[in-house]
Amino acid sequence: MADPVLEVHDLKVTFRTENGSVPAVDGIDFAVAPGQTLAIVGESGSGKSVSSSAVIGLLPSNADVSGEVLLDGRELNGLPNDELRKIRGNDIAMVFQDALSALNPYYSVGWQVAEAYRLHHDVSKKVARRRAVEMLDKVGIPDAARRADSYPHEFSGGMRQRVVIAMALVNDPRVLIADEPTTALDVTVQAQIMRLLDDVQDEFGTALILISHDLGVVAEVADDVLVMYAGRAAERGTVRDLFFRAAHPYSLGLLGAMPRVDVPPKPRLTTIPGTPPGPGSITTGCPFQPRCAYTHLVGERCVTERPELTPRPGEGDHEAACHLGRRPEVIL
Amino acid sequence: MPDLVWFLTRRLFAALLVMLALSLAVYLIFYAIPADPAHLACGKPCTPDRLEQARHFMQLDQSTLQQYLNFLKGIVAGRTFGDGAAAVHCNAPCFGYSFPLARPVTTLITDRLPITASIALGAAVLWLLIGVSLGVIAALNRGRILDRLAVGVALIGVSTPSFLLGLLAILVFGFWLNMVPVNGYIPLTESPVDWAWHLVTPWIVLAILQAASYIRLTRSQMLEELNLDYITTARAKGASEARVVLTHGLRGVLVPVITLFGLDLGSLLGGAILTEKVFSMQGLGDLLISAVGQLDVAVVVGVTLFSAFLIILANLVVDIVHGVLDPRVSHG
Repeated sequence: MADPVLEVHDLKVTFRTENGSVPAVDGIDFAVAPGQTLAIVGESGSGKSVSSSAVIGLLPSNADVSGEVLLDGRELNGLPNDELRKIRGNDIAMVFQDALSALNPYYSVGWQVAEAYRLHHDVSKKVARRRAVEMLDKVGIPDAARRADSYPHEFSGGMRQRVVIAMALVNDPRVLIADEPTTALDVTVQAQIMRLLDDVQDEFGTALILISHDLGVVAEVADDVLVMYAGRAAERGTVRDLFFRAAHPYSLGLLGAMPRVDVPPKPRLTTIPGTPPGPGSITTGCPFQPRCAYTHLVGERCVTERPELTPRPGEGDHEAACHLGRRPEVIL
Repeated sequence: MPDLVWFLTRRLFAALLVMLALSLAVYLIFYAIPADPAHLACGKPCTPDRLEQARHFMQLDQSTLQQYLNFLKGIVAGRTFGDGAAAVHCNAPCFGYSFPLARPVTTLITDRLPITASIALGAAVLWLLIGVSLGVIAALNRGRILDRLAVGVALIGVSTPSFLLGLLAILVFGFWLNMVPVNGYIPLTESPVDWAWHLVTPWIVLAILQAASYIRLTRSQMLEELNLDYITTARAKGASEARVVLTHGLRGVLVPVITLFGLDLGSLLGGAILTEKVFSMQGLGDLLISAVGQLDVAVVVGVTLFSAFLIILANLVVDIVHGVLDPRVSHG
């Protein structure tokens, strides 16, 4: 793997609330190289969105962030807000889930894309607008020069997401964080948006962090995958590691819950029994243990000892946080 | 903008209908009160004969419907009371004739309007500035000392009666400190400095009273606005906090604020009764109160209708401004 553009080490995020502090992310590591795609997978509340917001300091003021966030080797965590501001939208840009609410309804899309450019380039409004139109055209907005004057509500969902992507890419960011970029879209549009992200990535060499719970999308575009569970990393490896050699029972559960076209449909979709633990409710042992079907193969350790990410022998960088030394067999 | 022209035409037509219905209602209400304006005009001793003469001259001996139709006709074509040398002319648009004041109501209103407008407009500019800026400051410092101060000011503002604050201001700044004149009105055309100097106390008093609701509205609206996704987008683009609040947040706050502002200003232009009384200014409010005291029904009807007209006008202006501020509002 080439030198990573963004590296995160031991990232921890704790929210201070009236009921004490709540850990949302409890020590995760990841890295992404130029042109590569890292998918962060997990169910709602697993800390995947919080981690990505923490990277560019977008969390509310009651969040405590510790750990290292290195952009080209430069530490971002702890930078004053004015310094971080120069990085946001410029070196690290974000694409959000719901493009309708992510766009300001009071300004034309051209204005909003141009604003993103002007915030980081000292250029006239005219130049910025030309750049905005060029960007809108690049992401596939037909008749971009005219449509630039339209407002977000005048676009379809897919077109809106293209606008958001144009806005994120207008400054040629090194890293693009896409937080469930296709969840609010229908399937055919999803495919178009993912292809668009893939294309721009090829063209600009952007590193992409894709936050998703759609394993189908992940399988298609990701190079590396980080599976998160209850604020911690459950498994980390290449996309092939996850799909062919899943080593964590939770990853296996996620894969099993995915409807497949090559398997005859069952009357009900497969689910992982139980619900994820609330933040901070599991302090000892494996956070997945209450829902795990393999604890009987390990015993006490699952309850008493927290598993750390450990390399899978002979599988390169593939790591899993599970006491079960071998690959879990599918239990039906 | 054919949309806007069509919208305006429809709205003006609707406004006309409302005014017509309103005039009938007002007319019937005030002419149903058991008081005979002719009594005041008939002199002493008021013999039945002279009373009848006065009623005939004032056209009060006709049926109520006929009187109303005369009133409507007067607006379009003007009216003449009596005939020969004693005839009284009221030129179109004639909104009635005040026999006690021996002036057409239209003239009375146009004479008094500049005073009321001077008070209302000056105060409006002040309260909008104070209300919105304090509201924004309060929202940005939620729960902190500045927030409590602003909310406290708002509480005092809404709960203090205008006559109390007005009299206190006159007492303190007019008499004790001898800083400002305590009454009187100098026309703007005569001396702009004296005009402003005489108005500054009523402006401030009215502004403090009115700003209260604007502080509260702006504060709550801004707090809501700052939680929206597009505010996060603006931050993620690298916008400074000031830009996030003033460019992206304030726009949505202004929509309801302008609505309230239009209606407040509209009703205040119809006469700031208590304020005018306290500061001895002969505006529309003063005209109305005196007319009520003297049973000068023509003036009461005229001023009431004029106030209603201002409210309808304010509504129309608010709707247009609304469309300018929020592109999602369609005038089609």
